[in-house]
Amino acid sequence: MLRSMAADDPAAFLRSMLGEWEKMANSVGGAMLRSDEWSRGMNTASGATMNAQAASKDMMERALAAAQMPSRAEFEDLSARLARIEAALERIELRVAGGTPVAATKPRPSRSRKPPEAKG
Amino acid sequence: MPTDPFTTAAAEFERAMLRNIKGLDYFTTAGPTLGATPKDVLVERGTMRLYHYRPRVDDVYRVPILLVMATTNRGYIFDMVPGQSLVEYLLDAGFDVFMLDWEAPRPDERRLRLQDYVLDFIPSAVARVQAETGESDVSVVGYCFGGVLSLLWAALEGDGVLANLVTFTTPVDFSKMEMFQAWADRRFFDVDRLVDTFGNCPGDYLYTAFDMLRPGTRVAGNIRLVDQLHDDAFVKSFRMFDRWAADILPLAGEYFRETTHALMWENRLNEGTMTVAGRQIDLSRIISPFLHVAAEHDHIVPTPASAPLLGMVGSRDKEEVMLKGGHVSLVAGGNAIRRLWPKLVTWLGSRST
Repeated sequence: MLRSMAADDPAAFLRSMLGEWEKMANSVGGAMLRSDEWSRGMNTASGATMNAQAASKDMMERALAAAQMPSRAEFEDLSARLARIEAALERIELRVAGGTPVAATKPRPSRSRKPPEAKG
Repeated sequence: MPTDPFTTAAAEFERAMLRNIKGLDYFTTAGPTLGATPKDVLVERGTMRLYHYRPRVDDVYRVPILLVMATTNRGYIFDMVPGQSLVEYLLDAGFDVFMLDWEAPRPDERRLRLQDYVLDFIPSAVARVQAETGESDVSVVGYCFGGVLSLLWAALEGDGVLANLVTFTTPVDFSKMEMFQAWADRRFFDVDRLVDTFGNCPGDYLYTAFDMLRPGTRVAGNIRLVDQLHDDAFVKSFRMFDRWAADILPLAGEYFRETTHALMWENRLNEGTMTVAGRQIDLSRIISPFLHVAAEHDHIVPTPASAPLLGMVGSRDKEEVMLKGGHVSLVAGGNAIRRLWPKLVTWLGSRST
């Protein structure tokens, strides 16, 4: 059947083979990834990467602190906080200026809906 | 019946031409806008977000729904694009819908613990839903670890507040999550060092872990994308799901440490020894109507990991449904539209008046 499929429509054959390869890769790869050896190796590698990242981050933070400069994380944190403060200010401004609060403009539907089978 | 090789070759040639044209589109345009159903942000506090979606009908069910998202992922999986949005589907079916979603925890939120999610964020969201709707009870729908958080909250504080509880693909027996168990093996995985080093658990680590659960799928998916570039619907769907899958949130450090110790290593929820802020978790205290939906081909939460859940919950009115699909296709995409969404609407509809 595969031979006739390959002859009739090679593209469909390749698509079907891709599906088979994916199943096989997930199954064989999954079994390998579940092994103790993999787990040990992966965690050792992660540990080494983690140490390297931590050392680099630490070095950079020290350098920035020595130069009286904030770190990227502190900038991001400040930026996120500013965005929230701006959003809060916008809401407060709207209310102080007599604008309609969002809650008042929201549709307030009645709450008496019944499931379709219960409707008379 | 054998097909004419010339017809096949002509069709493939046409596809190849379309692929080139659409391929250019793919790299020069942004993907579809996700999570665009109109909503109001009710709470924006650190990592916590509470949304209220604008009702689309004049008369809604009395009991509002609070969707609780998993802390690792973005809530727009429930609100992809019009026509493929669970939120929109629920709104059209007549529900008042809220969502408890998460942003990446800030560096200063690394000390958040499980108790902050279970005894602060969820109760705060529920209280706000009550205030917003004037109703005393709420249906809670939790997805994956959002389901675990919902269960923990319901067991401790759900009395009198919880109208219905629905969980999707929610693990309780973490020993059955084989891949994660292997990678979080306490002989090799040093969670303390990770948290002490980074503060919060980086999203990249979690993304790699999710990606490795199916080692062949990313490669095959990319080949399929090239092959199907001529198909707009396929490309749109691929972009939506690929973006969502890559949009993994970091986890608050102490919360990650605590869940690794208590759930992955000690399997406390299944053993009946789980505590939150020193309070014993007893899932049999949950007596509201309960629905659990599992996915037949779930590679993240295999069905044995959620199998004990129904027996642990104390509700008389309880049901478990096993639907075709995987962890994500259960809740979004064509499979979900045909299977889960109608089931959810029917089940909740008759219990939300």
